Amino acid sequence: MSERTVQVTVNGVPHAAAVEARRTLTDFLRDDLRLTGTHVGCEHGVCGACTVLLDGEAVRACLLLAVQVDGREIRTIEGLATGEQLHPLQEALRDCHSFQCGFCTPGFVMTAVALLEEGATPTEEELREELSGNLCRCTGYQSIVAGVAEAVQRVNGGTAR
Amino acid sequence: MRMVGAKVPRVEDRRILTGNGHYVDDLQLPRMVHAAFLRSPIAHGRITSLDVEEARKAPGVHAVYTGADMRALSKPIRSPLAQGATPEIFPLVTDTVLFVGDLVAMVVADSRYLAEDAAGMIDVEYSDLPAVVDYETALDPGVPPLFPDLESNVLHTATKEAGDVEAAFAAADRVVEVTLSQHRIANVPIETRGAVADYDPGSGQLTLHAATQAPHGLRLQMAQTLDHPMDRLRVLTQDVGGAFGLKGNIFREDFCLAIAAKQLARPVKWIEDRNEHLMASGHAREERITAQVAVTEAGDILGITAALDMDAGAYPGVPFSAVSFTGVISLLLPGPYTVRGYRCDSRVLATNKSTYVAYRGPWAMETWTRERLIDMVATELGLDPAEVRRRNLYEGADGDRMVTGPTLAGITTRECLDRALERIDYAGFRAEQEAARAEGRYLGIGMAAFIENAPGPKEMRPNGGFTGGEAARVRLEMDGRLTVFTAQSPHGQGHETTLAQLAADEMGVPFEQVRVVHGDTQVTPFNILGTGGSRAATWGSGATMVATRKLREKVLAIAAGQLEIDPSDLQIVDGVVSPKGVPGREIPLARLAGQMTLMPQTAPPGTDPNLQAEERFTGEETSGSGWSGGVHACIVEVDLGTGGVQIKRWVVVEDCGRIINPAIVDGQIRGGVAQGIGQVLYERIPYDVEGTFMAGTFMDYLLPTSAEIPPIEIVHVEPEDDEDGGVGFRGVGEGGMIVAPATLTNAISDALAPFGARVTEQYLPPAEVLRLAGVV
Ligand code: FES
Ligand code: FES
Repeated sequence: MSERTVQVTVNGVPHAAAVEARRTLTDFLRDDLRLTGTHVGCEHGVCGACTVLLDGEAVRACLLLAVQVDGREIRTIEGLATGEQLHPLQEALRDCHSFQCGFCTPGFVMTAVALLEEGATPTEEELREELSGNLCRCTGYQSIVAGVAEAVQRVNGGTAR
Repeated sequence: MRMVGAKVPRVEDRRILTGNGHYVDDLQLPRMVHAAFLRSPIAHGRITSLDVEEARKAPGVHAVYTGADMRALSKPIRSPLAQGATPEIFPLVTDTVLFVGDLVAMVVADSRYLAEDAAGMIDVEYSDLPAVVDYETALDPGVPPLFPDLESNVLHTATKEAGDVEAAFAAADRVVEVTLSQHRIANVPIETRGAVADYDPGSGQLTLHAATQAPHGLRLQMAQTLDHPMDRLRVLTQDVGGAFGLKGNIFREDFCLAIAAKQLARPVKWIEDRNEHLMASGHAREERITAQVAVTEAGDILGITAALDMDAGAYPGVPFSAVSFTGVISLLLPGPYTVRGYRCDSRVLATNKSTYVAYRGPWAMETWTRERLIDMVATELGLDPAEVRRRNLYEGADGDRMVTGPTLAGITTRECLDRALERIDYAGFRAEQEAARAEGRYLGIGMAAFIENAPGPKEMRPNGGFTGGEAARVRLEMDGRLTVFTAQSPHGQGHETTLAQLAADEMGVPFEQVRVVHGDTQVTPFNILGTGGSRAATWGSGATMVATRKLREKVLAIAAGQLEIDPSDLQIVDGVVSPKGVPGREIPLARLAGQMTLMPQTAPPGTDPNLQAEERFTGEETSGSGWSGGVHACIVEVDLGTGGVQIKRWVVVEDCGRIINPAIVDGQIRGGVAQGIGQVLYERIPYDVEGTFMAGTFMDYLLPTSAEIPPIEIVHVEPEDDEDGGVGFRGVGEGGMIVAPATLTNAISDALAPFGARVTEQYLPPAEVLRLAGVV
C-alpha cells in the first residue's frame, strides 16, 4: 500500500506522519495520534460520534481519509478544556447531567462547539433540529438539549429555552 | 450535607466530557494484533469447502482459524444457567452456518485493514439449506431441526396456570380474543461490541479487556470453556459505551479472541463494526401472544389465557437464553390487576436468525400484551380505558396478590394512574380530541401501567434470591479516603456517583473523598450478572451500605477505645470522628487509618485494625413494597396524509421508591422511553423469507434523534425517608422501556378509533398507520 505524508495541526499541535492512502481520519487520530476522545460508532456517517472540527467546521471524521486533511487544522474534544478549566460548554453539559455512557459525547460536544462559535442563539426546537445529526442511545436527548441550551445561554446569551 | 437524594453532579462526567474516558477500543497494547471475522452471507447451509491458504499467506497475517481449528482448542460453550434444549456449540461454525453473520473463520493480522483484506481472500462454498424464518416453519414437526443434536426447533415449552381459569371464563359475558405481535429489534448501543484478549506466557495469565456488563460472568464462562485456571484469568472493564442488556452476554467472538491470544502469545483486539453489530450481535423481542380475555359487560377482567411464542434465533444466548425470560413473562402478565383465572403457555423456537438477547426489560411482552388487551376490552365494551383500569386495579392492600402468587401489598399503581391522568388533563383532552376530530385532525391518548420486581417483595427473594444477594467491599485508605469495590459493572448508569453518595452518607466522609471501583475481577466481589435487570438501585446500593456500616463500626470501635468512650456516643462528620457534642477531642479518619495501617499493634484491645469490610446484602433491610412501577400517558397526533405520528406530550408517573440521585433516575426513565418510542415508530430488524438480513446500516435501521423524541415530563411518587436506615431504593433502569410501547400503541390506536383500527402489531411505521386508518 502506498504511503503519503500528511501534515496536520491537531488542537494547535503540528503533526507530520506517513499514512496509507486508505487510512481513515478516525483511525489516524485515534490510533496514530492516540487522541482516543473521538469515537467511532458507525463508520458510515450517520451516528456523528466521530465529529471533529476541520478548519472550524463540524465534519464526520469517519468519512474522511487522513490524506484529505493535509495542511488543515483539526480540533477534537481533547482540545477544549484549558488545563483543569473546563470549556463553558463542558461545564453546562456537566451541570445538566447531559450524558450517561459518554460514547456519543465527543460528537455532540464538537457539534455544539461549532454552533456556539457561530454565535448561534437557537430556540429549543431549532436546537433539536441542529443536534439531530448525532445519535445517542442512552439519554432520550432531553438532557443534552438542555445542556447545550444552557451553554448557549451562558456563552452567547441567546434564547434556547 | 446529605448526599442521598441530591442532584449531585456525576463523577464520571469530567473524563467523559474531556475525551479522557477509557473505552475498550482506546486500548493499545505493545505487540497488539487485530482480528476480523469472515461471516456467513446465507441464512442456512452446509460449508462444503473452505480454503484459507491464500489468506494465511497474505501480508501481515499471523493466523487464520477455521471452525475445526477452534473446535480443537475449545470445549463446547455451555452456560451454567442454561435452560431448555441446549445444542452443542463452538466458537466458530464447524459444519453448518445458521444465520446471516454466523462465524465462519477468523483472521488475525497486524492491522484491522490487513485482517479484512485477508478475510476477503478466503474461499467458502456453501450448499444452501431451507431457512427457518417464521414461527410456523419453526413449529412444523416436518422441518428438520437446525441442531442435529436436538429433536426439534421447539427448544422449550411451559405452562403456568393460576387461579380458576374455567370459572373465570364461565362467568364471563364475553371473551375478547386477539393475537399480538412484537417485532424483532436490537439494543444498538452507540459503542459496538469489542474486546482485547491478552496472554502472558510467562505467568500463564489471560487478561480480557472487555466491553461487558458482567465481568465475573465472562471470567467464569471463559475459564470453563477454555479450561483456563481461574487464578490466572482476569477481566477488566472500564468505560462501556452503552449495552442495554446486550453486553451481559458472553459471545462466541470472545472465546475466539482469548484462544488466539493464547496461541499467538500476543494481545488480540477485535472491535465490531456497525454492520456486524446490526447483523450478528444479537436481536431482541420478536414474540407473539394469542390471548383470550374473559370480561363482564361492566368491564371486570375475570380471566386471561395467553399462548406465547418467542423467536430465539439460531444460538442460545450465554448465560441467559430466550428461555430464561418466559418465566418472568408468564409470572408478570396479570400485572397489578385483579385477574382471577390465568394461564400462559409458552414455546421458544429456534430460527435462522441472530441470537435472541436481553434488551432493557426483556419480559416487556407481558406489559404490552396486558395493556393493549385492556384498551381492546374497553373499545369492545364501549368503556373508557381509564375506567376499565381503575375498575380492575389492586389497591395495594395487605392481602392483595397477583393471581400468579406474589403479594402486591404497597403498590401505588392506582395513585400513579390518577396522577398521570390529572397531569395530562385527561378530561380536557377528551374534549379537545372531540373538537379536533370535527376538524379532521386525529389526536389520541394512551396510558399504560407496569410493575417490575426490582427487587420484588421479600417473599419472592428469600436469602437474596437466585444470586444470594450481592456483596461489596469498602476500604478506608491511609489518607482517610474511602474506596468502594462494587460488584456492579456500570455502562452509563453513573454508579461511581450514586454509590459514592451512599457511602459518603453512611461513613460520614465528604463525597469527593469516595472512589468507586468496578469492573476488575481481581478486586471486585463476584456477581454473575454485573449490572442489569434494574438490580443496582437495590442490590448495589444495599451492598455498599451494609459494607460501609460494618467498616464504620470498626472505625468507631477503635476511636471509642482511643478516647475511652462508648462508640454510640461518637459521630463521624466530614471525615472526622468526634464525641457527640464535646468539642476538642476530634480524631480525623486520616490519622486513625494511618495509625492502624502503619502500627496495627496499637489498636485498642478487642478492635480490628484492618480497615476493610466486605458484606453481603441479602435484602433483609429493604423497605417498601419491593415493586417498581408506574403509569405513563401520552398524546399523539396522527397525520393521515403522511402516516406520521407526532408525540405531543409524554407524562411519566413513576414509583421507584427512594431516589439516590434524581438527575440520574430521570435520565434512566427518559432513555428507556426514547428506546420504546424508537421500537414502535422507527426500529425493526428485517429478514426476508429466505432469512436474508436486510438492515446492515443506520440508513436501514433507524434510531430516533433529538428531533423525534419529545420532552418527557416526570413525576415521582416517593415515600417518606426511612428513619430506620432501610434500603428503600428500587430499580428504575428498565421501566421506561417496558411501558413505553404499550403507552404509544394505545395512543395511536385511540387516535385511529374513528376508523375502527385494531392495533395488533407493535411496529407502526407510516405505512402501517395509513393501512390501519384505511387510507391505503
Ligand atoms: S462514526 Fe462517523 S458518523 Fe458514525
Ligand atoms: S450517553 Fe450513551 S450514547 Fe449518548
